[in-house]
Amino acid sequence: MLSRVALAATAAPSLKNAALLGPGVLQATRIFHTGQPSLAPLPPLPEYGGKVRLGLIPEEFFQFLYPKTGITGPYVLGTGLILYALSKEIYVITPETFSTISIVGLLVYVIKKYGASIGEFADKLNEQKIAQLEEVKQASIKQFQDAIDLEKAQQALVQKRHYLFDVQRNNIAMALEVTYRERLHRVYKEVKNRLDYHISVQDMMRRKEQEHMVNWVEKQVVRSISAQQEKETIAKCIADLKLLAKKAQVQPVL
Amino acid sequence: MFPSAVPVKEKKLMDVKLGELPSWILMRDFTPNGILGAFQRGYHRYYNKYINVKKGSVSGVSMVLAAYVLFSYCLSYKELKHERLCKYH
Repeated sequence: MLSRVALAATAAPSLKNAALLGPGVLQATRIFHTGQPSLAPLPPLPEYGGKVRLGLIPEEFFQFLYPKTGITGPYVLGTGLILYALSKEIYVITPETFSTISIVGLLVYVIKKYGASIGEFADKLNEQKIAQLEEVKQASIKQFQDAIDLEKAQQALVQKRHYLFDVQRNNIAMALEVTYRERLHRVYKEVKNRLDYHISVQDMMRRKEQEHMVNWVEKQVVRSISAQQEKETIAKCIADLKLLAKKAQVQPVL
Repeated sequence: MFPSAVPVKEKKLMDVKLGELPSWILMRDFTPNGILGAFQRGYHRYYNKYINVKKGSVSGVSMVLAAYVLFSYCLSYKELKHERLCKYH
């Protein structure tokens, strides 16, 4: 709990210093997590606890008495205290004493015999838990790494956007060109249409005039041929035909 | 008794000289908050030294149980006095 308070206290001043720069500068020079965080990662748990002798008395007591009494000091002190308590009956021997002696003896035997294996079993359980957490941590690290790579790839793609825009620009230019030519062609066709109309009108007028003139000339000629002239021409034609017939009779014989 | 250069209040218990002990005890914080803090500190010291380790041993628990046994023996000494085997020691 105190560690969290200290962490918040060290984090707050650094945030305040960053805010003083002003919004524009902050956007430009953003620095994320480059300093050394003071309390993370947490220091690992110690391997073994404080040493304890006989399961009851911490080692510090023996070290405390070592300069004055040597190695056997605390044991002699313990023996003396026990004998004093027994003799002065500060500790009273009751029927309970025998039950406690047997129970404590049984406990000590069991602990001495199976203590190590129970410890290993507990260690294995711990290791399983830690392995699970480690898996989760690795999975999330991998996830973040994948996300980072994806982001980088997309950022790289942004650099290649201009190809897309070039293609679009080309397409638009081609479409414009096509419509321009189409319209040009249409204009040409329309103009040619109008000119053809005028030409055909002129042709028709000329033809009509010619026919009319020919008809009129024929009619005049026919009118001008009087009855008299008609008889004369018919008689001449018959005389000519007779001559021709004679010639024709003569020639095949030859 | 020699007066010490460092004021008595900031010293830890092991550095206090025997003559200064009463004044040192009186200078401690006896408000409810202070007493609560003392219990918390004691608990955390014991916990982090003997129990909150990777390979804890049975002594972490057995010391607490032994202390409890002694404490309950002291509480029930008054009734046990009557079961003494000898009258005069």
